[in-house]
Amino acid sequence: MTQLVATEKGILKSYLTFQLNEEKFAVNVGQVIEIVEVPNITKIPNSPTYLLGVINLRGSILPVVDARIKFGLKANEYTVNTCILVLQLLLDDEQIMLGALVDAVNEVFDVEQEQIQPFPAIGTSYKAEFIKGVIKDKDQFVFILNIDKVFSVMEMESIKIVQENIIGTDKKENQKTVE
Amino acid sequence: MDNMKHIYIEEAKELFESLEKSLLVLEKFPNDKTAISEVFRIMHTIKGSSGMFGYTNITQFLHNLETIYDLIRNEKRQLSKEILDVTLQSLDHLKVIIHDDELIFGNNKKKHNELLITIEFLINENGAEKTESIIENEEAVSSLEWSTYYIKFIPSVEILKKGTNPLYLIDELHSLGECIALPRMKELCSLELTDPSCCYTAWEVFIASNSSIETLKEVFVFVENECTLTVSEIAPFNLIADKTFCNTFCSNTLEADFINTEDINEWVDNQIQNENKQSNSKAITVPKHYTEIINQKEKSITSIRVSSDKLDELMGIVSELVTTQAGLKLLAENTNNMHLDAFSETIEKLTRRLRDVSFGMTLIPVNTMFGRFQRLVRDISYDLNKEIDFVTEGGETELDKTIIESLTDPLMHILRNCLDHGIENAEERKKKGKSPKGKITLKAYYSGASVYIQVSDDGKGIDLDKIRSKAIEKGLIQHDSIMSDKEILELIYAPGFSTAEKITGVSGRGVGMDVVKRNISNLHGEISTETEIDQGSKFSIKLPLTLSIIDGLLVKIGNVFYIIPLSVVDKCYEVKRNELDNFNKLIVFDGNQIPFLDLRVEFEVHEKEPLIQHVIVVNNEDRKVGLGIDSIVGEYQAVVKPLGKHYNGQDYISGATILGDGTIALVLDSNRIIKRYKINHLRTEELV
Repeated sequence: MTQLVATEKGILKSYLTFQLNEEKFAVNVGQVIEIVEVPNITKIPNSPTYLLGVINLRGSILPVVDARIKFGLKANEYTVNTCILVLQLLLDDEQIMLGALVDAVNEVFDVEQEQIQPFPAIGTSYKAEFIKGVIKDKDQFVFILNIDKVFSVMEMESIKIVQENIIGTDKKENQKTVE
Repeated sequence: MDNMKHIYIEEAKELFESLEKSLLVLEKFPNDKTAISEVFRIMHTIKGSSGMFGYTNITQFLHNLETIYDLIRNEKRQLSKEILDVTLQSLDHLKVIIHDDELIFGNNKKKHNELLITIEFLINENGAEKTESIIENEEAVSSLEWSTYYIKFIPSVEILKKGTNPLYLIDELHSLGECIALPRMKELCSLELTDPSCCYTAWEVFIASNSSIETLKEVFVFVENECTLTVSEIAPFNLIADKTFCNTFCSNTLEADFINTEDINEWVDNQIQNENKQSNSKAITVPKHYTEIINQKEKSITSIRVSSDKLDELMGIVSELVTTQAGLKLLAENTNNMHLDAFSETIEKLTRRLRDVSFGMTLIPVNTMFGRFQRLVRDISYDLNKEIDFVTEGGETELDKTIIESLTDPLMHILRNCLDHGIENAEERKKKGKSPKGKITLKAYYSGASVYIQVSDDGKGIDLDKIRSKAIEKGLIQHDSIMSDKEILELIYAPGFSTAEKITGVSGRGVGMDVVKRNISNLHGEISTETEIDQGSKFSIKLPLTLSIIDGLLVKIGNVFYIIPLSVVDKCYEVKRNELDNFNKLIVFDGNQIPFLDLRVEFEVHEKEPLIQHVIVVNNEDRKVGLGIDSIVGEYQAVVKPLGKHYNGQDYISGATILGDGTIALVLDSNRIIKRYKINHLRTEELV
């Protein structure tokens, strides 16, 4: 919600794109604190697979989520391009920091609010409330993510549409409030 | 302005709390003069600031209330229970209307008017005499607080050329109090030798004022270098009102010599002695007032207000510094540079001190919390019609503010239970040969790195049979379960357990001791119970001094470092891997069988197993459990940081800390591990 207000004021038109497999996603730069190389990740025993563990970010403990698993992909070997996006999210009215492991970051680009197209709920494999909109970049679609939703604790399973039935009910309520 | 109002409300709330405390002292010792004047002073302070911020209703209300205490203070009225009751009620009311001065919400207005009438009635109780007495008193009070000063002011001849008019200074003195100014013109020579641009006049001034000597001196602050100034206090009361004094000293002419201050002092001393003979009270009470005022002034500078956010930030920075310092130490050890070593050591010392000091800042005395309970116990015991002697000890014991905040509710619950279920009513107590007045003690003390808080009563104690049958009834245990007394007593902390036969307004509202226990274990604390029939019960809460730094044992399992809080570590043993009996999950040390939990298996560690393993025996609620780990690294002081919300469901790890070289060590929550182990264990038993 705060995010939307900010864009209306025209403060944040910049988006950072990152890649998972072949698909491109974008997050508003206002929510990206930094991008770090993959350090040694300390795994926490008996935790779900999408939670990779914690890292030491200059003296702070930062939990790291594997975005691949989150987006329904299989975990991958790290490459030179693999990195962690340090994101700032709003969780239960509280600002928290979270690391997201992604295959690669691509670029930062500016886009006007008008250029963002609504997300076509049909024909894609992602649920509508996680995607704020779509931008066409050359011949590829870039999905703008609502990361507050994507990485919220409640949504910590996969965001693929298959899961719809399981987490269905309270989702709809959330949608209403967002609208 | 809003910000100022916010400060006002914060301050008023604090004052309300100290007012409440003083009132409760008064209830016990109705003749405590310092408490009475404290009550008066606090009311007056709140009244003052309320007036300043335009809270007219509160100001007016407090003014009336204050009148009563003014009467009491001057011994025109006797403090009665009625007055105290009304004052406490008023206090509650004030706490509400401080957010609603206009009296818009609810029945604030009705309540306000009712209380005003009661107060009015209390003031008027003594009939028509009252108005007079107030006025009289006010005069008496004012003359009490006034002092008389002697000022000798000799301006330099040049003073007029500097653009200063000495008469303005004298005028200013007049504004500070009752004043007699005597001009002296001895310096004035014959007219033809006089320079009209020079000042030949000096002044002697007697001033009776309630300002301090510093304030008087401040009047002359801009002419300090152009005059000779003597300011001295000659009497701690208003001398100018004394006619004999004026006749003796003030009728001098322009050419007279300066008055000798010794003469005045002698005169005043004589006067006081005379008065002492007549009535020995005045001279003694006056200086007392004096010292009190001075004391209050000193008090106000010894502490400053800092927002807790700033403190939290400071804590965060200090924690980071501790971590960085550990890194520096490691570097210094590895670089083999003497100078670096020296610096590193100094920084280590400084860091440790800084850490101790700043962590000390977040500690607040538990007294702040105890005060609230005084009131609670008083109110509840009235409701229940039980007479209670509530004693608090060790209020100066300090605890982390976050711990205190989250401790209030559990303690309140325990106290309610003691009052409601523990203490019998007066007749029952008499039958048992106890004093009809019940006693509840709330005690806090240090022991090692922990703070203990105990609530004990001398009531009927906890009936174990009753608990047992209740637990069977509620299906918490089986009919034939064999349990030790201690285990039965533990049942009161089981969810869904409440022995209250009828639900009273005070306790038994469904929130039970299980919540208390959970709240306390969230603070890394433990609660234990002792009880004896007809002798009473005792609840002891053990708490760590602070939440954020713990002494721990650094161990390694696979590639990961873990920290086990030293407070739970009992013993460490070395064992050969192949000697471990992973089937029965038991291990024998020194002839004792100890349940054993291999953390390698628990944490699904797949790295190569070492030949020699270590077993750390930890204590958990009188049970010992051995935890299997790979190797022990050593002792470590850990700054514990939360893992973040995503790990809220985590069972084994309560936080993480960053080691000197930047790697992360996870802090094991041994209590929870063992609890989980118990559950698993029970399940396997069932299967067998």
